Amino acid sequence: MGSPFSMNGGACVAMVGKDCVGIACDLRLGMQALTVSNNFPKIFGINDSVYLGLTGLATDVATVSDLFRFKVNMYRLREERNISPDTFANLVSTSLYERRFGPYFVSPVVAGINQTSGKPFICGFDSIGCIDFAKDFIVSGTASDQLFGMCEGLYEPDLGPDELFETLSQALLSAVDRDALSGWGAHVYIIEKDKVTKRLLKGRQD
Amino acid sequence: MADRYSFSLTTFSPSGKLVQIEYALNAVNNGVTALGIKATNGIVLATEKKSSSPLIEPHSSSKVALITPNIGMVYSGMGPDYRVLVDRARKVSHTGYKRVYNEYPPTRILVQDVAQVMQAATQSGGVRPYGVSLLIAGWDDGILPEEELEVEVEGEKKKISGKTGGILKGGPSLYQVDPSGSYFPWKATAIGKSATSAKTFLEKRYTEGLELEDAIHIALLTLKETIEGEMNGDTVEIGIVGPPEDGLLGYEGVEGAKGPRFRVLSPQEVEDYLTSL
Amino acid sequence: MGGFDFSNHNRNVALHAKGMPLPKATSTGTTIVGCLFDGGVVIAADTRATSGPIVADKNCEKLHYIAPNIWCAGAGTAADTEFTTALMASNLELHSLSTGRKPRVVTCMTMLKQHLFRYQGHIGAYLVVAGCDPTGSHLFTVHAHGSTDKLPYVTMGSGSLAAMSVFETSWQGNMTRDEAVKLCSEAIMAGIFNDLGSGSNVDVCVITPEKATLLRNYITPNVREKKLRNYKFPKGTTAVLNEKVITKEDISKYVTVHELQDDEAMDVDS
Repeated sequence: MGSPFSMNGGACVAMVGKDCVGIACDLRLGMQALTVSNNFPKIFGINDSVYLGLTGLATDVATVSDLFRFKVNMYRLREERNISPDTFANLVSTSLYERRFGPYFVSPVVAGINQTSGKPFICGFDSIGCIDFAKDFIVSGTASDQLFGMCEGLYEPDLGPDELFETLSQALLSAVDRDALSGWGAHVYIIEKDKVTKRLLKGRQD
Repeated sequence: MADRYSFSLTTFSPSGKLVQIEYALNAVNNGVTALGIKATNGIVLATEKKSSSPLIEPHSSSKVALITPNIGMVYSGMGPDYRVLVDRARKVSHTGYKRVYNEYPPTRILVQDVAQVMQAATQSGGVRPYGVSLLIAGWDDGILPEEELEVEVEGEKKKISGKTGGILKGGPSLYQVDPSGSYFPWKATAIGKSATSAKTFLEKRYTEGLELEDAIHIALLTLKETIEGEMNGDTVEIGIVGPPEDGLLGYEGVEGAKGPRFRVLSPQEVEDYLTSL
Repeated sequence: MGGFDFSNHNRNVALHAKGMPLPKATSTGTTIVGCLFDGGVVIAADTRATSGPIVADKNCEKLHYIAPNIWCAGAGTAADTEFTTALMASNLELHSLSTGRKPRVVTCMTMLKQHLFRYQGHIGAYLVVAGCDPTGSHLFTVHAHGSTDKLPYVTMGSGSLAAMSVFETSWQGNMTRDEAVKLCSEAIMAGIFNDLGSGSNVDVCVITPEKATLLRNYITPNVREKKLRNYKFPKGTTAVLNEKVITKEDISKYVTVHELQDDEAMDVDS
């Protein structure tokens, strides 16, 4: 058996644009080489302007997404406000590090817009909560090596929402086509200050 | 047997009172007066520092305490109880918030946490309530009230803050916490021995749109009405929540780092305010 | 923090027993250095974070705040250096608030070694601790198992040999601030160019009794050449099967919290 990170397959990528951010994931769920589902989204809405992408072991993706739904709901009830993406990133980080010696096998990605400052925010994590603050893009999942290459080549700063969508989508689609464990369609979210556009992409089904 | 019900705090009197809490309030009402005034750009906390004898060494500990860089606290009532609460407030702001979110708690969250500690002492076995009332002043980052845009939507005026609900709004806030664990937000208030007269004075002097410098002035005038001895830098203590003091940060070069807003004024600064009274 | 949750541990051990490799954590395969000078201490670090052979972060921060007058450079498991230093920062802040004194570097070093020794090396933090306090300027190294050293110049991480070669060649006693900054950045550059685990930029922190100065990206010897042309895709390149636009106004229809006007508001917070 391979690593728990590559049992189910999956890929996720986030990019920063001009006054917008994008986050995208593939839709495959597999058991090793057997594909079980082509409708297993890995991006979870935290609130209007914060999204969480989770790749890795599917059981942990489900558990961790539920855990953060709970934690964010409790935050909203207690503080009467939506959690900001940077605060949420720290919450993710501490929650993962709490399990330093028994981690969840997930590689989270956070993308969102801070409603107070209006600034775009993205970051990624390792499975024990080390934050990777990036100004450009974040990748995770079994296609992360391919995504690194695609993003390093295609990315450029200050893309508008429409341009960002194309660049992000093409980076993801090209990357997952070279990963046997990812693909089978994709979800792409483009987050702007007061609008979120969610698109379903057609991908190869092999 | 008037105090028949006072042996256990978890016992109500037949009339529905928890008399120990009332006794704790009595302790507060015998305490040295403390007051707080909220301004548009900050808050002032002020109190009198009493020395019962000329032989006593000057205080090394202060009555106005910093809890987080943007939140400060003052009390009326029992000093030892207050110091326990200051330690608890500082600790809970880290364990219950900063170590999770990597930022300091907003004022209301801290007030709730401190209030919870005080409430627990009214319901637990083997303890007595804290004999103090607190004034907690803090500044929260976020959208300031004056930054909210008024926009006309379908003929009616709406305030667009981009946010919903209570504590999302940034800016100053001032709370009072009582021994029972109840807490109230104030524009200006006083606690302790001369709380009633001080509040009457504040009601007369307080105006909307007050600036911090005016608030400090009013705080000293109010204290002057109630104070018995001489007023000078050693007998009056003032804490302010004002603009970020980057000079107090102790380091530079960190992106986005802002200095503390809360600080206790030095005796010299208090002296200067008193001479300009 | 410190209160770890082991509830996944047995499951993960079982998976490991079946031949699954342990997750690879982001490590700062790093060059970090420190050097005392006349009137203070300086520490420096590179800015590359790696995950195996992959460069995970090209410009990460390895200089951590502990107290205004104490800073720390971290190598090893990135999450461990981040959280151990944050824990020390928190405890020292509370300690300094209740004692009314500036925290001391030895206090910080002792707390670190006791914490790391308790975890028997499982917390993979390798640190250079530096700072100024009323007892003087101090420089320590702390290893993951809890051992410590006190030296006038130190290096740690995978680039420590490259960096130490610079110190052993050029270090001299009683250096000035500028000499120490130059020496430290040259040591880091040696790591950046000769050690694969280290790369990108040089971060420096100078600590004197008066204040600490963080010089983030003090030297940037590895700037990516600007792309002369781009790979922008024209709008409509990607085939979309389905599109859904969610606007704030749509969402507000389902939200029950409404902003009240001042006169009708209960005024709880303002």
